[in-house]
Amino acid sequence: MQLSDVQRDALVELLNIGFGRAGASLSRLTNHRVLLDVPQVAVHPVNQLSEHLSTVMHEQVASVHQAFSGPVGGDALLILDPVAAATLKELLTDEPALPLALDASSREVLTEVGNILLNACIGTFGNLLKVPVSFAVPDIDVSSLQAVVNRLLGSGDDAFRYALVVTAGFRLRDAEVTGYVVIVLTVQSLTRLLVAVEGWERNEGRH
Amino acid sequence: MSTILVVDDSGLARRRARNILEGAGYNVVEAEDGMAALERYFVARPDVVLLDLVMKGMYGLEVLTKLRELDGTARVIVVSADVQSSSQELVTAAGAAGFLTKPLDADEILALVQSTLGGNAAGDPNAAQ
Repeated sequence: MQLSDVQRDALVELLNIGFGRAGASLSRLTNHRVLLDVPQVAVHPVNQLSEHLSTVMHEQVASVHQAFSGPVGGDALLILDPVAAATLKELLTDEPALPLALDASSREVLTEVGNILLNACIGTFGNLLKVPVSFAVPDIDVSSLQAVVNRLLGSGDDAFRYALVVTAGFRLRDAEVTGYVVIVLTVQSLTRLLVAVEGWERNEGRH
Repeated sequence: MSTILVVDDSGLARRRARNILEGAGYNVVEAEDGMAALERYFVARPDVVLLDLVMKGMYGLEVLTKLRELDGTARVIVVSADVQSSSQELVTAAGAAGFLTKPLDADEILALVQSTLGGNAAGDPNAAQ
């Protein structure tokens, strides 16, 4: 499934607004200015997700997963490599954290960060597109990238699901932390999202 | 001194709320899920409840409905990462006294707690009576 230029442009703008909100939240949590990169958006069939992510991610990752439902439903993930996860935890708590050894405190902090960032992103979609979504409780997993993708593959009919991959870089203090937000949607949900995005884009263009 | 019950399954979120509220002179009790919140509410008799929406076990909306059924005077402020206006409308309809998005902003939460208490400052012994 290919996005048209108009769809991609509108999605990037929508995500910019969502990540602006997420950045403001992160800044409030850390009491530091957060610099955001313009998010990059790509759509891949969910069964090709692993090969696309493995070009940019380490083999071992920390991922916060949150399912959402409604007219547009699916799975949202914040994926961080272990160094980024440990850096985030240190920035939020001023306590040292070791990559690959995320203890209970690190997991708790990262789950809440994932919860806030994913809600900011998906919730902004919901607000602007007027498609209310309900969120499930987030959970965190530290495992291989393949295991994260396998968990997604096992939860639906993969032939009809797509992953909206958003590369979202942000920098706090001197640390550069890059995270990936992956939103997995059925073809039906993705179609609804794109229709809503096009409607929103047309509406915005009038103002 | 007014007592605030902070209900959230995230320890980070509870610590953040506790730091802000205790710093302003409030007494804080915590609950990590909906069942514990209902128990603690009737033991501690808090003046205001800060309630997370998406939690393991009972959802915040269920806790809010239950609390308002059991005590029609319960004053509940919902705190959630959910930024949707539809969620805000939902909890307002269920009887919430206010809605704040995470992460908590100290000025916002203190102003809302104070207005929910009827404008009484935290250290006022007559607050919320």
